[in-house]
Amino acid sequence: MFNRKLKKAAALTLAGIMTLSLWGCGSGSGSTSESSQETVTDPAGRGTVTVTMGRQTTANPKFPSGDSYEDNAYIRMTEEKLNIDIQDEFEAESGDDYNRQVSLALSAGTLPSMMKVASKDELTELYENELIADLTDVYNQYASDYVKAIYDSFDGRALDNVTYDGKIMAIPATASDAGTSMCWVRSDWVESLGLTVDEDGDRCLTLDEVRALAKAFIDGNPEQAEHPVGIAFNASLTGGTSDGTNTINAIAYALGAYPRLWFENAAGELTYGSIEPEMKEALSVIRSWYEEGVVDNQLGTRTWDDITSLLTNGQCGIVFGSWHIPDWLLNNVYTLNDKAVFTPYAVVSEEGKVNCTHANATGEFVVVSADFDHPEIAIEILNLFYDDLVNDSALLEAYPDVASYLNEGVDGTARPFNIEVKSNTYLLDEYGFLKAALAGEGTREEIPTAEERSNYDSIKAYQEGSGDVTGWCKIHSRTKGVDLLTYLTENDLYNWVTPVYPETTDTMNTSWANLQTLEEENFIKIVTGAAPLDEGFESFVSGWKAQGGDTIIAEIKAQLEQ
Amino acid sequence: MKSKMLKPLNKSRGQSSFFHLFVMPGMIFLLIFNYLPMFGLVMAFQDFVPAKGFFGSKFVGLKHFRYMLQLPDIGRVIRNTLIIALGKIFFGMILAIAFAILLNEIRMKFLKSTVQTIVYLPHFLSWVVLAAVAVNLFNLDGSVNQILSSIGIGKINFLGSNQVFRKLIIGTDVWKEFGYNSVVYLAAITGIDPGLHEAAAIDGASWWKRIWHITIPGMMPIIMLMTAMNLTSVLSAGFDQVYNLYSPIVYESGDVLDTYVYRIGLVGRQYSFGAAVGLARSAVATLMMVTANHLTDKLTGQRIY
Amino acid sequence: MIDNKGTSARIRNTVIHLIVILLGLICLLPLINIVAISFSGSAAVTANKVGLLPVDFTTLAYSRIISDSQFWRSFGISVIRVALTLALNLVLVVPMSYAMTRKTSEFRFRNVYMNLLIFAMLFNGGMIPTYIVVKNLGLLNSIWALILPGAVPVFSVILMMNFFKGIPRALEEAAIVDGANPLQVLLHVMIPCAKPSIATISLFSVVGSWNDFFSGLIYMQKVKDYPIMTYIQSLSIDLQELVNNAASSSALENISELSNRNLNAAKIVVAVIPLLLIYPFLQKYLISGMTMGAVKE
Repeated sequence: MFNRKLKKAAALTLAGIMTLSLWGCGSGSGSTSESSQETVTDPAGRGTVTVTMGRQTTANPKFPSGDSYEDNAYIRMTEEKLNIDIQDEFEAESGDDYNRQVSLALSAGTLPSMMKVASKDELTELYENELIADLTDVYNQYASDYVKAIYDSFDGRALDNVTYDGKIMAIPATASDAGTSMCWVRSDWVESLGLTVDEDGDRCLTLDEVRALAKAFIDGNPEQAEHPVGIAFNASLTGGTSDGTNTINAIAYALGAYPRLWFENAAGELTYGSIEPEMKEALSVIRSWYEEGVVDNQLGTRTWDDITSLLTNGQCGIVFGSWHIPDWLLNNVYTLNDKAVFTPYAVVSEEGKVNCTHANATGEFVVVSADFDHPEIAIEILNLFYDDLVNDSALLEAYPDVASYLNEGVDGTARPFNIEVKSNTYLLDEYGFLKAALAGEGTREEIPTAEERSNYDSIKAYQEGSGDVTGWCKIHSRTKGVDLLTYLTENDLYNWVTPVYPETTDTMNTSWANLQTLEEENFIKIVTGAAPLDEGFESFVSGWKAQGGDTIIAEIKAQLEQ
Repeated sequence: MKSKMLKPLNKSRGQSSFFHLFVMPGMIFLLIFNYLPMFGLVMAFQDFVPAKGFFGSKFVGLKHFRYMLQLPDIGRVIRNTLIIALGKIFFGMILAIAFAILLNEIRMKFLKSTVQTIVYLPHFLSWVVLAAVAVNLFNLDGSVNQILSSIGIGKINFLGSNQVFRKLIIGTDVWKEFGYNSVVYLAAITGIDPGLHEAAAIDGASWWKRIWHITIPGMMPIIMLMTAMNLTSVLSAGFDQVYNLYSPIVYESGDVLDTYVYRIGLVGRQYSFGAAVGLARSAVATLMMVTANHLTDKLTGQRIY
Repeated sequence: MIDNKGTSARIRNTVIHLIVILLGLICLLPLINIVAISFSGSAAVTANKVGLLPVDFTTLAYSRIISDSQFWRSFGISVIRVALTLALNLVLVVPMSYAMTRKTSEFRFRNVYMNLLIFAMLFNGGMIPTYIVVKNLGLLNSIWALILPGAVPVFSVILMMNFFKGIPRALEEAAIVDGANPLQVLLHVMIPCAKPSIATISLFSVVGSWNDFFSGLIYMQKVKDYPIMTYIQSLSIDLQELVNNAASSSALENISELSNRNLNAAKIVVAVIPLLLIYPFLQKYLISGMTMGAVKE
């Protein structure tokens, strides 16, 4: 009978699917288990290997038409050079989207052969679940000397971060030191008001000089703005990186306060920068500036965009930020007022030094699935992109479409690994070539990277009168911003502090958001005078400790002892 | 189940097999896509490790449920969910009922049907679309804030303030749904015997009195039924809407159960914990549905299902 | 209803008309705003100058959509998805709900099935287990992952059931006396009678699958396979987040190019058009659909 047959068939299908589903996730991916023969390492000899990838993308990659993440010049070059076939298992933008894809892939127990991992916690979790391959041997055997030198330039901070029980478990991306948060000053205002900034010409300002300058700008009000503002800050006053834009970091650092960072204080105890007495001092300085009217009287309510309009409207002529803010923030000022010129200064401590913190050397990683039989391919890709492509000009001649990618500014996410692997000093090194070329001491061709070459072109065009905003930006970010960083390094003006970058602890999971809010709210209250300085700061510190801060410090200590 | 099906014929066997045939294809889909995944709920009682699968992961009993009860986040999330859901139900019903009563007074056919067409429309649009509309209107520099500051109230950070975010969520949902929800009430009003109104009018009852003493009592069964039905969804405050409008700044006031489970259980990879919260939520929702069904059956003689 | 012919009644009437019109406008104006944005110049949009009328009128955004291949790809995926979902929903739901209106004397396991249905509506295995099932069936990145998990909308089954119950028993019995089997009764008697309610559940099916963005988010691993609403959802970006997370200064330079609010508005408008097209035809089935679900005669 039809009815009975149907039921039987249905029952069978169902049973089949159930078993498949439930067992399927237990046994990991079955697809790679066939090729468990001896690892052959010569790309030609090992036969074409299929490599599946988890790729982090961006909304606007600027591909030439027809190209995509799975099929573009970088991928084609990689496939040809290494005799592999790259297939994307998933593609997603950074943040929630990417984390969701990783999580889904992981939940079903199947990782792509290689994928980017965006946090240390996730890396630890993958290691503890034995899902990723040990890369120690392949790294030692295959990584080129140049690549090894890059990692070594971080004094071990890069590789230590991916080493578990003595095994290298991932390819770390590198993050070079961001340098100090600079005080960018409208130098056309300085001129028109007939002021002198930085009398001794050491490109550094003391806190008093900053205050005096802001005062002079308000009093002079060169653009006749209705409500001139001395210095404006973001509602979250501090930033977690040394170069935090629109933050009080430069001032805090000058006083030896390192907000939002974990480090060992003078007594050798692990502590959180925002609760140290130096932080109180930094807040008291901003508080007195606020009282004086040097700091924006709407502090705390201004959004990022509001601060940008203060600058573009000519209400404000001082802004704190990293060397690259001309490229994406100050460009708005120039667009509306092509007379605008900025000069960056470093803010120094009483000892005349610029306090700065080392960046977290690695926050992103590429991992290889434990089921993947050719982990050496990951290292070969590493060599290809971060050594050969940088150093071997013949490669670009052989792959002209890769060369055109570099010139056209196709986004870096197009590469198989969306990570940067550059030496700790790359920024200054590359700028050295640009500087030499601009001064006529070198040539454009000697500049090693495409990005810096295109900067050279924009700057040259601007100097010849193009008036182009890109030229203005690059002059500011490179010949002023990076130039200042170079100056500080060469004249040994930095005082480096190495923070601890812990993994997210259990208590952080539950309490960190609260603690951050507590910190931000209290700091604003203290600075604007809504809370008294001494008691306000004390009650913040005790509140912070009681609401999980102390536990977190203990947890991080335990992490460090491991 | 299978052995029962194979029992000997009864008199309606011929027909019965047709009915099985009608039901079977759909049932197969339900079994695969609804029932099969329910086995995955065992992970709520495990420390689920994907590499080990459901069979290899360690069972930990009620650990995740206990953890859930200790977590301060959960209290916050449940509070937000209840406030938002109840707010939507309460204000949504009031406005829908009021609108139905008013609409019923409109005599101009053209106006009536035009307004109906317009107010039903938002119900059919995705929150993806409407969130974009809402962000355009309610951001700090959006039209609403421009109006507010021009009349001297000052800007309100609707999307980024824990004081107003819930109100925004409730308000935009009421806006989206009140028109469509008024349909049932309008039908109920049309079902009221016009003779009652006529008699009352002759007795000199005012319009207000007639609305209060005839129309509303006449709608009462529907109002009660709808209340019961709505209350069963008190644990789902609208994932699509909240997900498309919230941001970390307003987690404190806007994070609801569904978004929390998504963030923790999926993006945050705490699979077991996410499953435990989801399971607890489903269980409470089922319980409420069954209770509501019994209640409405008793009170109004109608069943939800 | 009776109209009192007094002045107070006239005032009341005017006020009622005004309130109703006002509510209509409140529903309409936000939607007009987004249309106005889509026709405005991007400078005016960024400066938040657009209200109900376009500022610096331009159709540039729309001409840019025409050449946006991903938009049309996603649009096409959604069209196919809606069509297939609708067909599958009807094929599964209509016979099922007819069978479910039978008494247990005619259909012994009716109550078993009914409980299975209701339980499936209330309870689910959660995102991850469902994902694992879909993945192991090999449906990831295929349009079927967007269709099959929602093949049986239980709510529609209940609606149809209630409608079938309302059809006079005599019609059916006449056919049975003529020797028709249940399939013939369904095809020749019940379905012709049930056209309005079939239209209603079709409306739910079309609207639901066109508007759904979440299954695309979960089951599609690449943007190129996204259905339209998932694609639209992926367009909204958090600028501050991008600034905080940008890896390099060149990434930041992209940001200004990304904030194309007028282009996004135009995409939203185009993505809503299919619903607007079918809306007038289906609006009249709304009333029957909504009342069927809640009110049983």
